[in-house]
Amino acid sequence: MTNEKFTDKRFNLTDEKKSLAIDVLRQRLNRQLEASLEVCVRCGVCADSCHYYVSNPKPEHVPAYRAEQLRKVYRKLFDPVGKAAPGWVGAAELDQEMVDELIMTAFGSCTMCGRCVINCPMGVDTRHIVRTARAMLTAIDMTPGGLKATVNVHLEKGNNMGVNEEDYVETVEWMLEELQAELGDPSITIPFNKKNARVVYTFNPREIKYFPYLIQAAAKIFNAAGEDWTLSTESWDATNYGLFSGDDAAAAQMASNLEGAVNHLGAETLVMAECGHGYRSQRWEAENWIGHSYPFEVISFVELQAQYIKEGRLKLDPTRNQKRVTFHDPCNQARNGGIVDEPRYILRNVVTDFVEMTPHGVENYCCGGGGGMLSMTEFSNARKEAGKAKADQISATGAEIVATSCHNCLDQLDEIKRHYKLKVKIQNLSELVANAIVWPTPPEAEEEKTEEKE
Amino acid sequence: MDSIAITRIIAIVGLALCLLGILLRLKTIMNRPFKKDLSRERGLTGRGLLFAFTLGMAPWEKESTRIHWISYMRGIFFHVGIFTAFGVLLVSPWLEILPNWLIWLGVVITGFGALFGFAGIFMRLSGPNERVLSVPDDYVSVFLSSFFIALGFATLLWPSALPVFYVVTGIVGVYIPLGKIRHCVYFFFSKFFFGKGFGHRGVIGQSKGKYAE
Ligand code: SF4
Ligand code: SF4
Repeated sequence: MTNEKFTDKRFNLTDEKKSLAIDVLRQRLNRQLEASLEVCVRCGVCADSCHYYVSNPKPEHVPAYRAEQLRKVYRKLFDPVGKAAPGWVGAAELDQEMVDELIMTAFGSCTMCGRCVINCPMGVDTRHIVRTARAMLTAIDMTPGGLKATVNVHLEKGNNMGVNEEDYVETVEWMLEELQAELGDPSITIPFNKKNARVVYTFNPREIKYFPYLIQAAAKIFNAAGEDWTLSTESWDATNYGLFSGDDAAAAQMASNLEGAVNHLGAETLVMAECGHGYRSQRWEAENWIGHSYPFEVISFVELQAQYIKEGRLKLDPTRNQKRVTFHDPCNQARNGGIVDEPRYILRNVVTDFVEMTPHGVENYCCGGGGGMLSMTEFSNARKEAGKAKADQISATGAEIVATSCHNCLDQLDEIKRHYKLKVKIQNLSELVANAIVWPTPPEAEEEKTEEKE
Repeated sequence: MDSIAITRIIAIVGLALCLLGILLRLKTIMNRPFKKDLSRERGLTGRGLLFAFTLGMAPWEKESTRIHWISYMRGIFFHVGIFTAFGVLLVSPWLEILPNWLIWLGVVITGFGALFGFAGIFMRLSGPNERVLSVPDDYVSVFLSSFFIALGFATLLWPSALPVFYVVTGIVGVYIPLGKIRHCVYFFFSKFFFGKGFGHRGVIGQSKGKYAE
């Protein structure tokens, strides 16, 4: 093993593991993957699309270089010329050296953000190739430890941080009490397991554990909009690290937990918390992992907030957010999900000074926190280094607040802020929305105020 | 049999093998699984597809081609040169009866095509990223294609070059399904999946949405 971080014997390639990994490649080799493996002309114009390359321009950071590692294996196995003359077409055996390289490229230096995909003139889907390599490595127990643990905890405990039901409910109730007190409005509710509510809302477990004020923000928005909503205790974790490990079976299991919860409650819409990969997983991938379409709609909380504003269901005062704000598009919402106009529409309504990064939207740079990178501490330094492109973008805006709508982005942006000494505050979009809401004074409170004055 | 007749047979055999190879490649990819996307459409898939095969290929549409516009335009001229050289091949038995303006148009296009083709080898050797990414097949594929265009060019100017053009056509034909030049077959598949995937999700080629400024 060339990398001292992966010295554990589970990272040793045995014959059995080799044939298992090859089987995975064979099973996953569909028309789309084969096209991406075959069509690259190695022109290298995708180089500057990748935030790793922009932050540290070296050939190993060119997207095609990463994809080329799996291509070499593919050619050796599936291309007649690759079998007969491997050196001629760049084919290679899946051996220990190649497995080490795949770990470093597929897990260690690609967030599967898709920026190179939209920039490749040939339409190569490097995301897809990298996820296939991850799937092969996961099948032979070569997933980096942190990512492996995150998936396992989710499968065993129902959420990726192992939060038990009691803590979950208590945290939500505590936040409800605080919100009622803050707004002087006891009519605010956070319903649990309400049958036939229109909307079921989810959380990223980090919100329950470390950012409970985001529960308040969501509750304030739902209550202000008069939404018929509920939380589920059966399944509520919006995340799905199976997307990152490449393990479709695990991913399908996590997705169907949420599906079951929504079906049991009989809701029309599943609203994914501000979590980029959670949205991508449940909105775009899950039905394909599970093998059937959902009877309900899946949307992001970002889309729902925009809808409330458009329908005039939130009374907003943007002067409550007067600092200059810029927005970081989570790759899994914008580039991989089409949610580009909504956050901008929201920000135009809730802040007074919104400024765009260059580039932004579909072309936005990944912050470096995608692809499960935050769970893989082995690659922390590379992740921080790759955040330089984002740090430079943020600095250029002169913004004091960076808003985003993804927890992995939030954490990575916070690290970037410290690492590159940026004088900004990182906030969730819903925090800014909640802060701008003008809460109607309840009649009793109004009466009390009048009495006090008298 | 004269040299033209013999070399023409070489070209025809090469092209027949090329066709056979391409058909085998097509058969392989068409036998791979293709699953319907079960998620609900957000954008119009058709618009994504249209975009992928039209405007999406314009040099200003992608950041990568805006930055590397020289490389991209080189590639465009090179490919136009290849198609034109195939045109020259098709009309080669009737070169004498072609109008002069058409001959000269072909000369200009294939001339530039060959030039930009050979320039590609130089760029590949001089670019540090391209050098690391390249394998022998890359150099040979570009060289063979450029040589093919150059012989199309030569044939238009000096019809005596025709037998050599035919021989090179035969070699290129055999090499197409074996080497990198076969990307021409997969291009349509990858662009299809690109347009379909990103169109379905409403990322590319869509009209302005209700939240747009
Ligand atoms: S992935 Fe696309 S842009 Fe990058 S080298 Fe391959 S063909 Fe060129
Ligand atoms: S998917 Fe993103 S991180 Fe991976 S190679 Fe492409 S641009 Fe880089």
